[in-house]
Amino acid sequence: MDRIPILKFGNALLVTIQVDMHDRLATALEEDLTSKIVEFGAKGVLIDISALEIVDSFIGRMLDNIAAVSRILDADTVVVGMRPAVAITLVELGLSLTGVKTALNVERGMALIHARLKTSDSDDDDEE
Amino acid sequence: MENLLQTIVDTEAEIAIIDITGVPTVDTLTAQHLLKTVAAARLMGADCIISGIRPQIAQTMVHLGVELNVVSKATLADALSVALERTGRAVIKLKKAAAVADQNRTPAEKGQ
Repeated sequence: MDRIPILKFGNALLVTIQVDMHDRLATALEEDLTSKIVEFGAKGVLIDISALEIVDSFIGRMLDNIAAVSRILDADTVVVGMRPAVAITLVELGLSLTGVKTALNVERGMALIHARLKTSDSDDDDEE
Repeated sequence: MENLLQTIVDTEAEIAIIDITGVPTVDTLTAQHLLKTVAAARLMGADCIISGIRPQIAQTMVHLGVELNVVSKATLADALSVALERTGRAVIKLKKAAAVADQNRTPAEKGQ
């Protein structure tokens, strides 16, 4: 079965969705991502959906779920590159993804995650 | 809504200011559309600031039970200053700077 690759990028995980999502792919991604966060102890998850053209309520809910699970596992989720049409669809579906951080492009998303990593690093220093 | 979102992409904007000074009345439908636009802009990674809500409109909105969970500022100027602050920019007076520069110059430079 096709799976969406998850790349490790320092303390963060990078997921770029390049194909149109179907439900099975979405659930597989959710499971893979959860286990990878635990495996690598990731502090941030960056999901690039700039190539995603069609989003339904299931995919929207999946994004929300991933964010909720990541938060429990102490990782921030940043969704980047959402297209205007997709944003409108999600809002019309009543999915405002309140628990998810967003950024315009990968560059800004990475900056967000790095900012979070920096603050958590300094927290660690305080503890030592 | 489409226009705003497309412009956010085109200009890579970090902050969007929606100024509704020129809007005489706001009903529930308009308010809901406004909220949807703000939510969609957030999904695109841009923060929204709403400015210029007239007193009557504010009253109507509260009466209608519409709650805007967004940053709202009284005037466009206030919204702009918040936006500038958040993006780490500031507007400075050039004249004052010129005067200071003038003081630092030697008398000889001033004479000619």
